[in-house]
Amino acid sequence: MGAQCTTDPEENDGISFQLGAEKAHVLILKPEDLAERNAILDAILNLSALKYTHQLVYLAAPRIFGAGIDAIVFRSRGIGLLLYDERRIDEAVSAQPLESKQLARPSEQDDRPVVAELATLKTMYFEMERTINQLRNDLTALHNRQHLHQDTLIPPSAQMITTVPSFHVDHTPEGQLPSYFMNNPWLDVLSKRGTGEREPIAG
Amino acid sequence: MSIDNYRSSYTFAMDFGTSDFKFGPITLGEHPRIVNNRGYFPDKNSVMYKAFEATSDIIVGDDVPLYLQSAEDLSSRLVYPMRNGMIERNDEQAWRVVQTLTAYSLESFRPQHSNGFQGYYVVASLSSVSPRYMYERLMSAFSQNTYGMVRAVTVIPQPFAVAIGHGVTTCVVIESGHGNSQVCPISKYPIRAAQVALNRGGGDANAITSEILKDAGYGDLANEESLVRKVKESLGLVPEDLDRAIEEAKRSPRRVRARYKVPGTRVEIDLDKDSWSRFLIGEYVFNPNHEVFESYFNRGMPRPRDVKMGDTVFRGMLDFGEAIAASVERCPVELQPLLYREVLLSGGNFSWTVPPRLEGMAVDAPTKVKLLLRDRGIKNVSVKMTNSPQFSVWHGCIIYGFAVPESYEWDWQRLEGWMRVPN
Repeated sequence: MGAQCTTDPEENDGISFQLGAEKAHVLILKPEDLAERNAILDAILNLSALKYTHQLVYLAAPRIFGAGIDAIVFRSRGIGLLLYDERRIDEAVSAQPLESKQLARPSEQDDRPVVAELATLKTMYFEMERTINQLRNDLTALHNRQHLHQDTLIPPSAQMITTVPSFHVDHTPEGQLPSYFMNNPWLDVLSKRGTGEREPIAG
Repeated sequence: MSIDNYRSSYTFAMDFGTSDFKFGPITLGEHPRIVNNRGYFPDKNSVMYKAFEATSDIIVGDDVPLYLQSAEDLSSRLVYPMRNGMIERNDEQAWRVVQTLTAYSLESFRPQHSNGFQGYYVVASLSSVSPRYMYERLMSAFSQNTYGMVRAVTVIPQPFAVAIGHGVTTCVVIESGHGNSQVCPISKYPIRAAQVALNRGGGDANAITSEILKDAGYGDLANEESLVRKVKESLGLVPEDLDRAIEEAKRSPRRVRARYKVPGTRVEIDLDKDSWSRFLIGEYVFNPNHEVFESYFNRGMPRPRDVKMGDTVFRGMLDFGEAIAASVERCPVELQPLLYREVLLSGGNFSWTVPPRLEGMAVDAPTKVKLLLRDRGIKNVSVKMTNSPQFSVWHGCIIYGFAVPESYEWDWQRLEGWMRVPN
């Protein structure tokens, strides 16, 4: 009599099997899951957590996934890897069972530090990704601003450094002057102050 | 005209109004920041002062209400430095408030130095009747305490800023606030020699409103300044013709009957059969010479007098039509028709509305001014309100600061130009 397939409402993305006191779980990734960047990482983390309740844990993924994976990631954690396509299923990496005493009483050499470290690495990765995206956006904005000024043939202000304010701009979109500047004749009148026209005395 | 990239970000304007101080850099766009033009000198022994761990001798900005204590305290500790647009030469408390507000405004917009910031171009505006010592004190304040944030500073008159913000290079600007009014011709420059000042403003409209409330049986409310001001704003009307308006109002009292309910209370002011007196409020602002006002003067209401403040004589009883004509006629003859074609009204004292059922009896401020000029034989006049009555001064200061070349240096004869501030 082989292992019995157990149904667990919480295990929506896999299958569990039980043979006597031993439990095995297979977490299945579908082809569409692979479009998500973190699907594989999440799967490994979830399976690592299941190592305390299941002797054997497997990740079943489409065969195309096998080309881009380093098997040592699975071997080092005792997680098995099954690759499948329409014709067959192959065990690419064998799962390493935990000893029964480890299941009964979690030891100090369990995977919790590793899981914690993985979570930390994940957080750092996301933070770096956010920073890179922000830098990319800032660089694009700077390039666009530079092109705008070149298009309007503004003579360079040699004495002053061209800068962008760092404080929050509430109303004026970057590069635009307020509405009361539009068609205002004073801009021309005031720009000629001190150019030689006769000036009144204030008295 | 080339665009100065630096000044498109680092032009800064300060409008020192009678009640409000409006400030901020060009990057704020249409609306400046606004705080009360006042400062509070806290009692350092008070519990509140210690509780908030304040270290400043003067509190300005939005924090002032936190420190206010008893009503008796206000008169000595809460200082409004520019109640009539001017500060006395030796009023050190007032000057300290101005200096603190200046620092507060700049500090509110301190940029990152690493971004190449080398100081703002600051344009401050003062009343057109400000004497020379006010320019000297304000310039001195910037020179001595730049806070590391000022590259150059200048001061321009508020009516001049209004004309710039409105976009009209030849015009007459009439600025009317709480304490006084000024008529200022502009032709690319302020024509200072032609300015006329009136010792009459919104505060005088409050005074006549107070008398009207007393006559209507609301003597106990007539002494509350803020309530009187709200009644003025709600019930006051400017008549097209005062005699006709009073006659019609007495004939049809229901048409002009007005009630004002004080928000949050059960108090309701009903002028009832005296509702015709609503027209006195607006008329008094524009022309206090009508004989109907003599009875109020006889009963003790102060008659606006001619006073000298600083270098300027403020006329008390001159109506607006006569004041505008007197001012324009001091200008070159060829310029006069051009000035009459652009008369701009600015300031809260010109915010008069016309209720729909009172059209034909009540008018708005531009219409009233036009009628007063017509009575003096001056036609072909265009009178209008500024585009943005509340912010036109600040807008004008921003444009001035953006456009005037840095090489245009300050000159004490012409009272224009940039004064560089050493950092």
